[in-house]
Amino acid sequence: MTDTTSETVRVGELGPTGAFERKAQDAGNHRVRNLLILAFVAFAALWPLVHENTFLLTMGTLVALSVIGATSLHLIIRTGHISFAHAGFMGVGAYVCVLLVMKLQLPFAVSLAGGAAAAAALALLIGPVVLRLTGKYFVLVTFLLGEIIRMVFVEWTSMTGGSNGIFGIPAPYPALAEPHAFYYFALAAALLCVGFCARILTSEVGRAMDSVRESERVAQCSGIPALQLKVTIFVIACALAGVHGALLAHFLHYVDPSSFGMVDSLNLVVMNVIGGMNHLIGPIIGSVFLTILPELLRGYVELQRVIFGIILIVVMAALPGGILELTARVRRLLASRRS
Amino acid sequence: MSTLLQVEGLTRVYGGLRAVGDLSFSVGQNEILGLIGPNGAGKTTVVNLVSGVVKPSAGRVAFKNEDVTGMAPHLLARRGLVRTFQATVVYGDRTVRENAMRGAYLTLYPGFVATLFDTPAAKRKREAAEALVSELLDWLELTSVADTIAGSMPYGYQKTLGIVIALAARPSLILLDEPVAGLSAHETDQVRDTIKRVRERGITVVVIDHNMRFISGLCDRVVVIAHGQELAQGAPRDVLRDPKVIEAYLGKSYAAARAE
Ligand SMILES: Nc1ncnc2c1ncn2[C@@H]1O[C@H](COP(=O)(O)OP(=O)(O)O)[C@@H](O)[C@H]1O
Ligand SMILES: [Mg+2]
Repeated sequence: MTDTTSETVRVGELGPTGAFERKAQDAGNHRVRNLLILAFVAFAALWPLVHENTFLLTMGTLVALSVIGATSLHLIIRTGHISFAHAGFMGVGAYVCVLLVMKLQLPFAVSLAGGAAAAAALALLIGPVVLRLTGKYFVLVTFLLGEIIRMVFVEWTSMTGGSNGIFGIPAPYPALAEPHAFYYFALAAALLCVGFCARILTSEVGRAMDSVRESERVAQCSGIPALQLKVTIFVIACALAGVHGALLAHFLHYVDPSSFGMVDSLNLVVMNVIGGMNHLIGPIIGSVFLTILPELLRGYVELQRVIFGIILIVVMAALPGGILELTARVRRLLASRRS
Repeated sequence: MSTLLQVEGLTRVYGGLRAVGDLSFSVGQNEILGLIGPNGAGKTTVVNLVSGVVKPSAGRVAFKNEDVTGMAPHLLARRGLVRTFQATVVYGDRTVRENAMRGAYLTLYPGFVATLFDTPAAKRKREAAEALVSELLDWLELTSVADTIAGSMPYGYQKTLGIVIALAARPSLILLDEPVAGLSAHETDQVRDTIKRVRERGITVVVIDHNMRFISGLCDRVVVIAHGQELAQGAPRDVLRDPKVIEAYLGKSYAAARAE
């Protein structure tokens, strides 16, 4: 039941700042941010040209694809819910797309849309129920949901090939069989996805999402249809997760349930936590970090998980705002040095 | 005077506890109605029931002659019924202006697709909302702190900001849950003036408090409740004299107040 006695007074850390000063600072921050984004995109675009290494190219493609999954999960997180079923929705998108291509010989674009639509439909079916839950209950239920979805992939052997999965998935288009071409394809998809998420977050929808996350009851009393908004965002985000799964399957040329389990959902959550959950850049940083880190540790197979875990714990304990917080701290340090 | 809000037989049971039992009252257009009672009397529960935050176990709520019993808060807000919360609830990490803009959602929001493409209609709505917010902040003399982070302000300011957020939804009826709890005497006077001015905007007010002095200096009519039940209803003067009220609930504190 709604508990109205637990209203807490929120107290910010920031003191009053003159309006003028604040605006000038904002403009400066935006310029720095735009330059950083430009540098990042340029780096990504030139990545395949600076080396001949196919492994590094593959890593680049995987990072680009996981940006889609991580930023779409970020949308859900920004409404105040951490979903642990995101990899499950990836899987729905992947299997539906692959089956449409391989069993019905539909064109890739149509199948991709079908995969995204299937993930969206499932989200629309369960969203209105689970999004009423708060905090840890939502985490628990989505965790179970993700496992149920994975079990369906394992058990429905006639469709999914069970634990063996499906092999011989073709490239989306013949031209994309070439790794460089697929890299740019994935990069374009990731940029589109990030642009779309950024647009949502900076629009009035984003403002409403922030209101709902920070105080759902106040938001509702201002006329914001909180549940409807959360369901809409959940559906959009799960559709994007479906796109991530479908592209991944067609890139790897195979799909099996082990890519869509709880570890994978957890990875997407950690990408957000480690990068920073308060800003869209967070999950992008997290994607780079979490895709590359396991590869760097590959030489120490037994130690890999331990080292991986320790790094995660250290980052999360020392930087609750994620790696993004590091930049804020450095900036504050520089500012205090200067003055 | 036509009736804006009509509450009949409102009841809410928590487990075995009747937080509100068979309560009936009505609020006329542009009236200030006081709802008073000691702590735990069920005042907040009444606000929750009327504003749709909690569903009633029994009874009926009609707003503008429409049955709105159990209707969701955001739908009630669209119809012009808005409430504030007992503990100050503002968006603590945001500026005062941003808090007010969030309150102006109904004026501001042009629909999902329109906002993503920032259509001319969306721009018009944003301008209307910005104008509304500027006017409200001006009106309540908050313009000088418009860019201050809400959570860093003194409690009294936050209380007023809570009222601003509610007013930004352009309500015809506003329910204020203990707007002066925890405020100094001076701040209390300011909020009382603010509420009177809110009424001058043509807005009907239901104000909740446990302080009889504050309520009687402000309201046209009061409803006194204790243990979720109505004790008395009427003009503050008459209710204050009602022996039932004095005995059953005001006894000590009222005597003390008179002795002062
Ligand atoms: N969500 C709830 N669950 C159980 N009991 C509640 C709940 N909300 C209020 N109550 C009980 O209802 C009674 C009235 O509470 P409330 O409406 O907050 O009183 P007031 O606002 O007049 O101080 C209290 O006894 C309180 O404990
Ligand atoms: Mg109360």
